[in-house]
Amino acid sequence: MIPIWVLTGFLGSGKTTLLGRLLKSPGFSRTAVIINEFGEIGLDHDLIETSDESFVALQTGCLCCAVRDDLVLTLEDLLRRRAAGMAPPFERVVIETSGLADPAPILHALMLGPSFVGQFVVAGVVTTVDAVNGWRTLDHHPEAIKQVAVADRLLLTKTDLLEMPASGLTARLAALNPAARLLSASFGDVEANRLFDLACEAKAPAELARWLTVRALGEAAQHGHVHDAEIASIAIVRERPMHAVGLTLLLEVLAEHCGGDLLRLKGLVNIAECPQRPAVIHGVQHVFHPPAWLDRWPSQDRRSRLVLIGRNLRQAWIEALLTALETEVSELDGGATKLAATGED
Amino acid sequence: MSTAIPHYVVVLLQESLPAWGVTGVVSRSADGGLEVRAAAAHLHITRAPAGLPFRWLVGDGGRSRAVSGVPGLLRTVRASIDASYRPIAVRIAALPLAP
Repeated sequence: MIPIWVLTGFLGSGKTTLLGRLLKSPGFSRTAVIINEFGEIGLDHDLIETSDESFVALQTGCLCCAVRDDLVLTLEDLLRRRAAGMAPPFERVVIETSGLADPAPILHALMLGPSFVGQFVVAGVVTTVDAVNGWRTLDHHPEAIKQVAVADRLLLTKTDLLEMPASGLTARLAALNPAARLLSASFGDVEANRLFDLACEAKAPAELARWLTVRALGEAAQHGHVHDAEIASIAIVRERPMHAVGLTLLLEVLAEHCGGDLLRLKGLVNIAECPQRPAVIHGVQHVFHPPAWLDRWPSQDRRSRLVLIGRNLRQAWIEALLTALETEVSELDGGATKLAATGED
Repeated sequence: MSTAIPHYVVVLLQESLPAWGVTGVVSRSADGGLEVRAAAAHLHITRAPAGLPFRWLVGDGGRSRAVSGVPGLLRTVRASIDASYRPIAVRIAALPLAP
């Protein structure tokens, strides 16, 4: 499957500079780039020199609210052109959002595109953060906080302009999203494959391990940490395998009661019905990927581990919820579990 | 089967109120059920009688609703005590039991 990376970051955080540099590097070849520009007159795509026919600019609307359908159609068109030999045989897609975009609806569109099944896979989100102005941006723009919170990789840009290390900002980013890998770039210079690798993230144990072994499994395993705008990262660990129906109900209740406040969820779950192969779950707000099954456990650790990042999430509630669901499923073990799985009342 | 509400339900509801940003109290009632008092609501939760395909009954004034499990219980309780709650019909497809 072709990985799709979403490149986001607040206005002026260096997304276009980064893409401009990457498009000239051999490591970024065979990449289709889609740029979303907000406004009647797009400029960003003119700032990037390319003659590649797999380069597309989406204008006149913000991806997260107005042109999601356009995005889906564009991706379908890219696939058709690729299959017909009218576009280069790209192996990766990068979608640059506008600076004010909320990445979550874009991810929903990508995750739910029915025509994408088996062809594209959402590989992850890269968020650029201006090393000089990032702190102030986070102070004043909740959009920027959300862009950081949903990221798989954070790229600190403009580090060449720093007079001293941005340790305060990096600590703040780590607190907002302890699961994301933090990279830095000066003059937009960073190796393409460090940012947008070609492996499907859900299948990459090392990437997943980062999510599941960050501080969330250390001190935060005992209590959630509340950060900017009440955004907290929460880790849930279960020694015993979970029943598939229990996990399904957990996701359903989280989606129903947390909704837009659940920014990201990732997990490696030991399913009681299939203990030899862990299930990888991945969600953005109320939308969840179909689980991916790893071929084997990446380590000796076979505990189920879930990491949630969201606004106003409470660890105690999620722990109590999971305990209640697991207990109820055990009590209902047998044919009655099917009734409970519908959530009907 | 005991008619008392099990401890895991008590804990869950006690944790649910602050998670939803609702001020209220969850306490056991004399009949082994639960009382939830929040906002203007006063709910009485009991086990559903044996033989019914439900787990819990949620009484609200003169009205009683039967629910089949924890997800339905949370939905019913929250809808009664949280004016800002807008139930959404989220259904997660059952996880396949094999890869």
